[in-house]
Amino acid sequence: MFGAGAMTNSIPEIRDTELMFVIGSNTTEAHPIIAMEMKKAVHRGAKLIVADPRGIWLSDVADLHLQLKPGTDVALLNGMLHVILHEGLYDADFVAKHTEGLEALMASTVDTTPEWAEEITSVPADSIRQAARMYATTKKAGIYYTLGITEHTHGTDNVYGLANLVAITGHLGVKSAGLNPLRGQNNVQGANDAGASPIYYPGYQRVDNPEAQARFEAGWGVPLSPDPGLDLNIMMKQMGKSIRGLYVMGEDIVLSEPNANRVEEGMNALDFVVVQDIFLNETCRFADVILPAACFAEKDGVFTNSDRRVQRVRKAVNAPGEARADWEIICDISRACGYPMPWYNDPGEVYAEMAALTDQFAGITHERIAAEGGLQWPCTSPDHPGTPTLHEGAPIIGKIGLQPTTYRSSAELPDELYPLLLSTGRTLYHYNSATQTRRAEGANELQPVNFIMMHRRDAKMRGLRHGDAATVRSRRGEIVAKVDVSAKMKSGCVWMPLHFAEANTNRLTNDAGDTTTNTAEYKVCAVTVEAVQSS
Amino acid sequence: MKKKGADRSQILDRLEHHGGLTPGASREIHKETGIPEADIYGVGSFYSLLARPEPKHRVCQGLSCKMAGSDARVAELKAAGTPYEEVSCLGQCDRAPVAIDAQMELVSWGPRGRVSPASADLPINLAGKEDPNWTALAAAKQMGAEAVLHALEASGLQGRGGAGFPAHLKWKSVRSQAETTRYVVVNADEGEPGTFKDREVLLRRPHLMLEGMAIAAWVADAQVAYIYVRGEFSAERRAIEAALAEAAEHVGDLDIRLVNGHGAYICGEETALIEAIEGKRGMPRLKPPYPTVQGLFGMPTLMNNVETLACVPAILHRGGAWFKDCGRNEAGSKLYCISGHVVFPGVYELPLGVSFNELVQAAGGPVGTLKGFSPGGASSGFLPMSLADTPLDFQSLAKVDTMLGSAGVVALNTTVHMAEAAQWQQVFFEDETCGQCAPCRIGCSIQRRAIDSFLKTRDPADLEHVEDVHWEMEAGSICGLGMVASKPLQTAIQHFPEDFGQ
Amino acid sequence: MSESIKLTIDGQSVQISEGQTVLDGARKLGIEVPTLCQDDRVDNAGCCRMCLVEIDGQRRLQPSCAFKATEGMNVQTASNKVEKHRKMLLSFYLADHAIDVDGLPAERGVGNTLRQQAQTYGTGPTLPAIHAPRVARADNNPYIHFDPAACVLCGLCTRYCDEVEAVSAISLAGRGAATTIATADQIGLLESSCELCGGCIAVCPTGAMTEKPSLENVSAKAEQVRSTCNFCGVGCQLDLHVEDDKVVRVTSPPPGTTVNDGNLCVKGRFSYEFIHHKDRLTTPLIRNEAGQLVPTSWSNAIQVAARGLMGVRDKHGTDALGFVSSSRCTGEENYLMQKLSRAAFGTNNCHQCAAT
Repeated sequence: MFGAGAMTNSIPEIRDTELMFVIGSNTTEAHPIIAMEMKKAVHRGAKLIVADPRGIWLSDVADLHLQLKPGTDVALLNGMLHVILHEGLYDADFVAKHTEGLEALMASTVDTTPEWAEEITSVPADSIRQAARMYATTKKAGIYYTLGITEHTHGTDNVYGLANLVAITGHLGVKSAGLNPLRGQNNVQGANDAGASPIYYPGYQRVDNPEAQARFEAGWGVPLSPDPGLDLNIMMKQMGKSIRGLYVMGEDIVLSEPNANRVEEGMNALDFVVVQDIFLNETCRFADVILPAACFAEKDGVFTNSDRRVQRVRKAVNAPGEARADWEIICDISRACGYPMPWYNDPGEVYAEMAALTDQFAGITHERIAAEGGLQWPCTSPDHPGTPTLHEGAPIIGKIGLQPTTYRSSAELPDELYPLLLSTGRTLYHYNSATQTRRAEGANELQPVNFIMMHRRDAKMRGLRHGDAATVRSRRGEIVAKVDVSAKMKSGCVWMPLHFAEANTNRLTNDAGDTTTNTAEYKVCAVTVEAVQSS
Repeated sequence: MKKKGADRSQILDRLEHHGGLTPGASREIHKETGIPEADIYGVGSFYSLLARPEPKHRVCQGLSCKMAGSDARVAELKAAGTPYEEVSCLGQCDRAPVAIDAQMELVSWGPRGRVSPASADLPINLAGKEDPNWTALAAAKQMGAEAVLHALEASGLQGRGGAGFPAHLKWKSVRSQAETTRYVVVNADEGEPGTFKDREVLLRRPHLMLEGMAIAAWVADAQVAYIYVRGEFSAERRAIEAALAEAAEHVGDLDIRLVNGHGAYICGEETALIEAIEGKRGMPRLKPPYPTVQGLFGMPTLMNNVETLACVPAILHRGGAWFKDCGRNEAGSKLYCISGHVVFPGVYELPLGVSFNELVQAAGGPVGTLKGFSPGGASSGFLPMSLADTPLDFQSLAKVDTMLGSAGVVALNTTVHMAEAAQWQQVFFEDETCGQCAPCRIGCSIQRRAIDSFLKTRDPADLEHVEDVHWEMEAGSICGLGMVASKPLQTAIQHFPEDFGQ
Repeated sequence: MSESIKLTIDGQSVQISEGQTVLDGARKLGIEVPTLCQDDRVDNAGCCRMCLVEIDGQRRLQPSCAFKATEGMNVQTASNKVEKHRKMLLSFYLADHAIDVDGLPAERGVGNTLRQQAQTYGTGPTLPAIHAPRVARADNNPYIHFDPAACVLCGLCTRYCDEVEAVSAISLAGRGAATTIATADQIGLLESSCELCGGCIAVCPTGAMTEKPSLENVSAKAEQVRSTCNFCGVGCQLDLHVEDDKVVRVTSPPPGTTVNDGNLCVKGRFSYEFIHHKDRLTTPLIRNEAGQLVPTSWSNAIQVAARGLMGVRDKHGTDALGFVSSSRCTGEENYLMQKLSRAAFGTNNCHQCAAT
């Protein structure tokens, strides 16, 4: 967004903010250390608006909790836009200087009144009004979001809605403000930055841009394809069709991709699968070759965090047995396949090769990070200090195009057969497919089995009590989970974590993808829940 | 961190309604209020009436009760199988020995104490007729706030809680703050061992205190007044409630809130008292900032002792000069508590600056041959009879390295061994230190152990570090309690070396 | 903020900002004032009394950590009175602390600030141990151990738990000599609101709060390797403590130096068991004719993998291959994976799972 897919601002700026609008992020559990900065801000007196279908830790200390129905974010955001635009609370100066498309946005939000939004979101119109006014009239106001915004079939629209809010209020290029996606994994940012993408080379240089293509062809000494590749969601759906072989590194796709039953069918239909990982994960069941990899403590390199900070990973111990660093294995595979990867002495040389091909990272080296600590891109030359806050002075893309959005419902909503709306996420104690945390004593004592959080009324209707085992079923699969009756849930909505291989929540989730990014709709699908039939 | 809507100031009340800090109470109150359960537990466990809430006799272990035979009463209760706990001074030294029973009502095994005979020339006049005519408040409004402050200044009134700080300065300071939300707090948490004068004001002349409070609130432009009354005071609380019911029509829109203490001597310290009202552990704050600037809920707060406020109506009626002339070296009359070895223990309103000898005469003379006295509560330590003609006022006592404090005077005769008397007082401080800072927390334990072992061994070597430890407690503690908490032992050794084998 | 306040500390002049404390001024001058209960991440409590100094015009010694500096203030941090106080106070603390055979505060594999201060500043008379009746809770949580005998009740752990982590799982409890650090009703941390972030361990100056996993087996001499946490996207910096080729503890770099400001969460601090877990893959495996995975050599595994990938390409075309890269791996590894996909195979079918 605004020309860079990353947090516009820095994590340490959060403590000085005056208002936080946290949407689709259970920050205390998914990003505990960022949450500490938020707590610090609240402690200092900053206002907090939380939009989340569940009651979460942050909503308990929030000034406003907008408890919207899952999947109705666009309506909520358009309701807020309506208030800001039509009450004249927008930053006319910033809008005139740095944006285009105000008229169209104005026109598209004429009818999206808070009352209209209340109908769809079930958030009281007055709260929407209040949130909009608070956000628009506070100078240092930052938006923080994560996968609760993006993992929808309308995820791109959600992000546009937030970007519109930021742009019309001029909350960009200002310290402690901005639009801030909090990244889920240690190196999501870095993997994207490095070009692990079907459409981008490193540094977001498009594969169908002839200049970029020429640059990398020269750098790598081979002709390259200008045709965008398949994204992961499509790859999964094409397995056994156009996709016949996979090389999977450090990813348990059977557990972490949605609609796991279909993923398993697809994996079975592949001709050849290489899996490279540190544990024997679920995906290994389909592998022809399994390559043992080193974990983060056993190798050198860099991770890039949510605020674009490139930081070092350092080898502390030797890898067990014959396990080797992923970078070494890839190089060997490449050579065996006939492409002569250089004989890099260490990952610092790999980074240097990437930096030479990518202007945004050109000033970053392992040596500089060692000397100065993390460096935030853009960092374009050896004497560039890095960029904590993007867009200072003016947006880096010039004019921001305001993007009208229209509310569409999620791909699969509850109906008579599947009456409950399932949303998913991560808990504090486990991490994703949990191959690491489920090997930690403490996390397992706290959360040993998969569970389903539900409202007391929904549980009672089904004869379920707290702690009962329940069968959860969607159109795609079924699993068993322990019932957690919780006051934090809205009636009609249930929530499950994604960490448990033996009861994989992704057997239930929908693989329908966002119309632009194809990111799957993990956050909304329809399920039914019933007591486990004793056999 | 504060959850929105979770109001910590309700913790103590809720714990009281739950019957104290019983297992599970913290979690229940957490569920009701959203306040973190560890905080509730931490607060509840600080206050002895909540931490040990079981119905039982609470037998006073104050100096006067000890001298009057509380040990024998404990032995009787024990023999009878009656549940009991030995507790810090209950402020009933004039009718020692005493206890409070399972219903928190007073049980006295001694005679009723006396007060000065009624006289129109006494500003407070405990034996006088309680006549809540509220004319002082009306007079204050008539003369205006500045004139009230002038009268207060002319009266020379010093705080009667112990520190003796000029009252008009405190009032002026609060009145001059830029912050407009202000509070008045009445410190009715009388707990200094040997002291029971506020008790008599509350029982006999509550409206004087209420009227003084209303005037203070009017001058300070405070909207809310808190009365923090000691948890062990049941009859006193009823007296305040009755007076408050009568006061309603006179105090206009002043919001008056009666807050119960829950068993913590330290809450008599003004910042600890503020913490208690806020629903926290009663641990004194660092000063500065002073409560007049940042007090209750961070706002300017005018806190006065019961007796101080009770002097105000007479000052307004009869003028500051008249009040001032009621005293000798220092201004006004003073409610002196005297107990221990005198014929008629009680509260005597005398010119500020009478000597111990004069006070003993007012109380009907000594019982036996006196060997020493405690001039101003446990915190003042002990003085020998050679100082019995020293004026009992703030400055004169400071000159002999002690203090008037709350004027809780105890007379000790030759039947008392000063090492034992010192031990009783050190036990008190070890029980009542809040535990927040090391000098006081650890120092109290060290001094207690020193006197305990001396009483076992009679070896003066056990006492070799008393002076050093006392020095550090005085130099390093956060609040006034720590500064004086080893005074009894230190002064007993200093003034009665013969009782310490020296 | 402008540095508008000028004060004198030990005869040296220093300019600091309004609202800053005497301790801030001393630190700016490089004057060492000992503290136990001070940490920039929480409000100052001024309760440990180690940092008391003499300030002209103040009757009593004042806590430099909490005392706001004012224009023209004159401060002594090492006057006779201050030095006498420090020695006596350290004597007090020693009377209330687990003591080693050398007569100094015990050390448990982690630094004990009290011990260092006793060595630096000396102590007064040796006072008899008071054996304070502080209770410890029976607690089966796997990570955090509390030893009341090593606790100085500075309250940093409870303030951190309240002000930084904001879960308030622990509080000062009881009163006087019996004051301790407690959960509600002394329940175990797993039953409490604790999120096991271990911040209490990180802020504890004396090692009263320690890590159970490393309680017995860590020497202070473990080598430390600075790295980046491999869980969420915050990018917390870690110091991996290494002994005998094993990661035995994880700590945060000091506050104020990295993005995590001295903080870690339960995963970053404690979830390192996986590194040395017995389930780690230690040898390449290939699937045999019977469909079983069997160990093989690296050279064979590489050959089989390469042949398999090239076989798919040759049979179905290069776009029949998919390369799934990883947000868990390093930037360099992601770079190489997409380079493999693009340069070696000529396909852009390379993606990483940016979801979840």
